[in-house]
This record gives sequence, structure tokens and C-alpha cells, in this order.
Amino acid sequence: MNKPIETLFPQALPPRPHNLFPVWLAAALAALWLIVRDLEISFETLAYGVADMGEYFSRYRQPDFSDLPRYLELMGITLATALWGTVFALVVAFFLSPLAARNLSPHPLVYRAAREALNFMRAMPDLLLALIFVAALGLGPLPGALALGVHTAGFLGKFFAESLERVDQGVYEGVAATGANFPQLVMYAGWPSILREALGYVLYILDRNVRMASVLGLVGAGGIGLALHDTLRMFNYGQSAALILVILSTILIIDYASAWLRQTLN
Amino acid sequence: MTTVSIWRWPTPSGLPPLSAVASLSAVLVAMWLTAPLVEVDFVRLFGSLGKMVAFAGQLFVEPEWEYLPQLLDKMLETIEMTFLATMIALAVSLPLGLLAARNATPHVLVYRLVRDLLSLMRALPDLVWALVFVSAVGLGPLPGVMALAFVTVGFMGKFFAEIIEVVDHKPVEGVAAHGAGWLQVRLFAMLPQALPDFVGTVMYILDHNLRMATILGLVGAGGIGYDLVMSMRLFQYDRLILIALAIYLVVTLLDRLSDRLRSRIIHGTRA
Amino acid sequence: MGDSRYLSRFIKGVIIMSTILIESVFKRFPNGFEALKGVSADIAPGSFTVILGPSGAGKSTLLRLINGLETSTGGSVRIAGETLGKANLRKVRSRVAMVFQQFNLVERLSVATNVLTGRLAHRSWVGSVFYLFRNEDMDIVREVLARVGLTEKAWSRADKLSGGQRQRVGIARALAQRPKVILADEPVASLDPVSSEEIMGLLREICDRDGITVVVNLHQVDVAKRFADRIIGMNSGRVVFDGTPAELSPQALRTIYRREGMEHDNSLDLALAYA
Repeated sequence: MNKPIETLFPQALPPRPHNLFPVWLAAALAALWLIVRDLEISFETLAYGVADMGEYFSRYRQPDFSDLPRYLELMGITLATALWGTVFALVVAFFLSPLAARNLSPHPLVYRAAREALNFMRAMPDLLLALIFVAALGLGPLPGALALGVHTAGFLGKFFAESLERVDQGVYEGVAATGANFPQLVMYAGWPSILREALGYVLYILDRNVRMASVLGLVGAGGIGLALHDTLRMFNYGQSAALILVILSTILIIDYASAWLRQTLN
Repeated sequence: MTTVSIWRWPTPSGLPPLSAVASLSAVLVAMWLTAPLVEVDFVRLFGSLGKMVAFAGQLFVEPEWEYLPQLLDKMLETIEMTFLATMIALAVSLPLGLLAARNATPHVLVYRLVRDLLSLMRALPDLVWALVFVSAVGLGPLPGVMALAFVTVGFMGKFFAEIIEVVDHKPVEGVAAHGAGWLQVRLFAMLPQALPDFVGTVMYILDHNLRMATILGLVGAGGIGYDLVMSMRLFQYDRLILIALAIYLVVTLLDRLSDRLRSRIIHGTRA
Repeated sequence: MGDSRYLSRFIKGVIIMSTILIESVFKRFPNGFEALKGVSADIAPGSFTVILGPSGAGKSTLLRLINGLETSTGGSVRIAGETLGKANLRKVRSRVAMVFQQFNLVERLSVATNVLTGRLAHRSWVGSVFYLFRNEDMDIVREVLARVGLTEKAWSRADKLSGGQRQRVGIARALAQRPKVILADEPVASLDPVSSEEIMGLLREICDRDGITVVVNLHQVDVAKRFADRIIGMNSGRVVFDGTPAELSPQALRTIYRREGMEHDNSLDLALAYA
């Protein structure tokens, strides 16, 4: 009864394919260990910090809302900065992305140039751009909006271009076969086919820009970030807590609003 | 009196569709109302064009080559912070993602709780957390890694949960029908299906974290960001150009790499 | 030696004023596949021509060449005396409409807007990128939608229609161009028999009533025989038959549906069964 299974099924299974997962895992763990050593992260500090963290966060227990009107105004500026940045990005991406879509672009060279331009915009961190624009334009939210716009135009343009590339080639051929020119092809075969996707991307970028705009103040580009930086530096935990709560609730509201909007769009 | 119009839109009435007009005008009104808040000033904008050009001109100086070793050191630190934070977040997000997926969670209450926790974690920007952690544990890469990992868990957990929720149900039922336990079903039926999307998500987040890590130094949380801001403030353009180039190079490299990996995964050809 | 043949063909072309004159066209794709190996044909104005052949014979490539969706690697295509090139591409396309197997409509736009895209080449791009059209364009839309029997569907979105209805929109879009030629690339291959019958009838009626030259790619022999004035049979990139439906003998069909290196072929049996 207890015959070995080999005698019942003499045909051996084909050899098991090499699974490289353990190798990758070991390599990743080794790399992590090296990194922790190189960054000189001492677990004592961490343990001490974590033990202390409870006490530290308890300092934020009593938010000080005495300055709320000013915080709300700063948050308003932050939202406005995000809005202007997003619209700027949308306008730039609207014109650049059809050129950066392989199947639409009028010429391979134009395609490459547009792609590289988008890559460049994406690669420059928005805080670096904000620093540069502040140097050129002076302090205030305008350089912040510009920095957000330039940086996220790179993202939006890439997303749009990839969506345009996914549109069935037949749709472009159908419109092109009528003798439509490039702008007409983009407006009739391109954008209508990806409209919903594109709106989703814009909402996502708006969401992201609100988060980013709330820290742009750190480099003097307006908004609520600078106030938080200052209160934290002065160990004013009550006001810091109030500011964090204002940022948190705004972002959560935007989050839910855009989730709702996306759902109604579908 | 009838107006004779030659032009019309392709709608029954000949007028543009209401939804388009309404959303366009809503955006325009919002922009018009917020223009004073953003201090939009086109005169100032165009007036600064000269300054921008002058600034760009200043960037083209002989780079400060002696800075190179320190630059490499700081870039390595930036990359290491990115990798470490992403890996920590990955380890934490996998179980949290399972708990936050409607079809994998042990209980609805757990699902709601974890979902809300995740959305709280990702609500505040990384830099705000970095500020808080710096004031908690002091300067250095540690608060940067903590801030990155913290916010990343919020995003990754949510993405993972969403991926698991759209997993095909049939293999799951198949494995469950053979008497597999709770954890076995999740490990052997759900995760393998979700794996390609997981890899894509991790690449995307790695990309995002690298960008973030380059600026965390702004608040003293390690990486190249501190040198970046200082060289900007001290007008050390010979150093700034090197830093900007290095960031551009590393970010672009990862960008290309993750693009290639993602398209390979989507098209199903594994290495 | 061959010159006199081309000369006579050319003279014949001028005399009967062929709308489409295809002269020894070659097409080699970048992957090395030779879709067309020297195809010549002239198509008279107002005629209904069916290009018949098995899949992979090069029918589709030939049709796409006439509309400029592909560029030939040798030979020339003349339409109403004009040689098709990069410069006059849009002008030629505006007079040579195309109907596709997969309809190729813009799914998210209304039927009327899809038909209006047929007017794009006649309008400057400034107005049209804002979706602005002239009233006369709208009159054309009304007229052609009535022709294809879709007046009530004018404001439905294209993705809400059935396959047969979508192909009617495709034809309406072609008609809105006020074309001299309509090229139809397997227009009924994705449709059920009843819709196929209607679509072919519609194309035939357009040819008869408006005097528009119609060229249709088909692989169904029976359909070709019933609707065509003239049948051009193609096999592996060459014209192997050119004549009236009556001249299409079983012997000719065998040549059209012959497959290289294969004595007996299913597609031939299938084709003969339908014939």
C-alpha cells in the first residue's frame, strides 16, 4: 500500500526551472545591510528615537488655532499655486504630447525632441526649479506655480503621449484617410479617444501639486510651507500641530473630491 | 428675428455642449479669482526673462571639479536612502496591502481601519514628515529615510490593495476549494497574479522616492539636497551645475530603466 | 519590348480617363515581406471593381497605397492624372475616401461628428480644431445620414451602435467627403450576412447613383460575383485574373486561391462552395 510514488508514476517531472528569487532576495538583503552601514544609521539612535517618539509627539497634543485665519489664507495661496501650476502644465502638455506620441508625431526628429524636452522637465526637481525661479522673479507664489507647472508638464506630457500611443492605429487612419491634417488628426482622433484617461491624469497631478505646493514655501515660493518650517524651528509645537492639521484636512478633502470626481466621470 | 449664423458646433442645437462650457468656465473663473493670491503679474514675468537668461548664462562656468568626490558621496547617499526607504516600505506594505484589499481582508472593519490609516499616512507630503522627524531624531539621513518610508507605505499599501482587488477570482476559488488555509490562499493564489503589477508599482515608487530624496536635504534630512540649496544660496554656480547635472543623469537613468522594465512586464516577456 | 505594352496601357488610360492608374507597383515592408510584386491596373471612373484573393494576397496593401496610407517601394499610382506623392497626399485623400474593415470610427464622438470628420480636408484647421463647422457641412451630414438610414442615430455615440450601423457611419463619413473614389477594405468581413448584404447593396447604389468609382476588397467569391462590374484576382502580390464576373471560371478561381507549395487548399474549397 505504501508503494513509493516513483513506482506508481515512473515518469519523472521535467527538471524544475531555476528560480532566481532567493538569489535576488539575498542580494537585496546584503545591499540593505551595506546601505545601513554606509549611512551610519545607528540602531541605538533609532531605538532611542522611537522610545522618545511617544513623548515627542505628545508635544503636538494641543493645537494652537489662534492664528487660524492666517493659516487658512496661506492654505488658500497654496491651493491657488497648485491650480495655476496644474493649468500651466496642462497647456504645455496639451501642445507637446501629440508631438511626443510616436504614432502621431509628424517626424521622428520632432518626436525625439519633444520626448527629450519632457524628460528634461521631469528630471528637474520642482524645488530646484522653484529656487531658480525665486532667484529670477523674487519671493512669492508665482515662481512656485511656475516651478510646479514646468515640472509636472513633463509628467502630464509623458502620460498623455503614452495614452495617445495606445489608441488603436485604425482610429488615426480613419481620420487621416479623409485628408485631415496634423492638428485636425490630434483634435478628432487623438484627444476624444483619451479624454477620460487624460482627465484622470490631470486630477492626479492636481492632487500631487497641492501636496508639493504646501512645501514650496521652504524655498520662499509662497504658501503654507514656510510657516510650518518657522514654527517647527521655534519649537512652537501648538502652532505646528494646527498648521499640520490644516494641511492634512485640506489634502484629505481634495483626495476625496478627486476620487469622487473620477468615479462620476467613469 | 432670426440670427443667421454660418458657424455651428456638432450638437443638436448648434451650440457647444453645456458640460464643456461649464467646466471650462469654472476653471477660468477659479483662475481669475485666484490670480491675486498667486500674484500673477505678466509684466513681472516677462521682465524677469532677462534675469532668467542671465542666470542660465551664469550656469555655464567651469565646473568645480574638486567637488566631484563629495558629489559622488552625496549622490550615493541619496540613492541609498531611496533604496532603503523603498525596501522598508515594501516589507510593511505587503501585509498592509492584503489587509486593505476588499477581497483579502479578514474583516470589513480591518479593511476600513487600514484604508484610513494608509490615507492618513500619505496625506502629508514627505517634506513635512522630514521636518517633523528631523526635529525628533536630529539631522542626517535617518529622518529622511523614515519620512520617505512612512509616506511610501501610505501609497504602496493603497496601490497593492487596489491591485489585489482586481485579481482574477477563479484561481483563488480553485486553491481555496482544495482546502488551502487563509494565508495559503493569499500567498499562492492572489500574490502570484498580482506580482507583475506589484513590480511596476515598486518601480514607479522607486522613481518617485529618488526625486524626493534629492530634495530632502533641504530640511537637513540627508542626501544631495542640502548641497544643492547651499550652492544656490551662496551663488556657487560652478558647484550647482555639477549637482543639477548629476540629479538629471541619475533620475533619467532610473526613469529609462523603469520604463523598460514596465513595458517588458506588460508585454509578458520576462528576463 | 515592354514599352509598347505600357504605352498602349497609358493611351488606353487616357482615352477612357481612368480615375486610378496603377503602374507596376512594388511594396516591400521593412521586415522584408514583399506584399506587392509589380501590380498594374487601371480603374475606370464610375465602375464597381472588386479585388478578390486569399488573405495575404496584397489586396489590402494595394488599397492602402491608393489612399497613401502606405508608400510604394516602386512604381506609381495616379489618381485622375495626378501622381500620388507626399506633396499632394492630403488633396488626393480628400477625393479618395476609405471605408475600413474595423470601421475605424472615433468611438467617443457622436455619429454626426464622426461624419463631419469627412469634411475636415475642406476646412481650414483654425475653425475645425475648435469643432466649428459651417452650416453647409451640417446639411451634408443630414443628407448622407439619410442616405445610409441613420438619421435618428445622429447624436448617439459611435460606440453605442451595432457593427452594421457603424459601417454605415463609415460609409457616411466617406460620402461626406464628396469623393470621386471610395475604397473599401474588406468592408463586410466583420459583419453578419444580413448586414453584409445591406452594406454591399449600399456601396453598389452609391456607385450607380452618384457615379462614384468604388473599389472593394473581398475574399467572398459569391459576394464579388453578384456586385462587381469587374473582378481583379490577386495572389501573393500579383494580379492573376482581370475580367468580368462571368469570366470568373472555376479554373480562374483555382489560380486566385492557389497557395504556394500546397496542392490542395481549404480556402479554395470554401471559395468554390460559396461560388
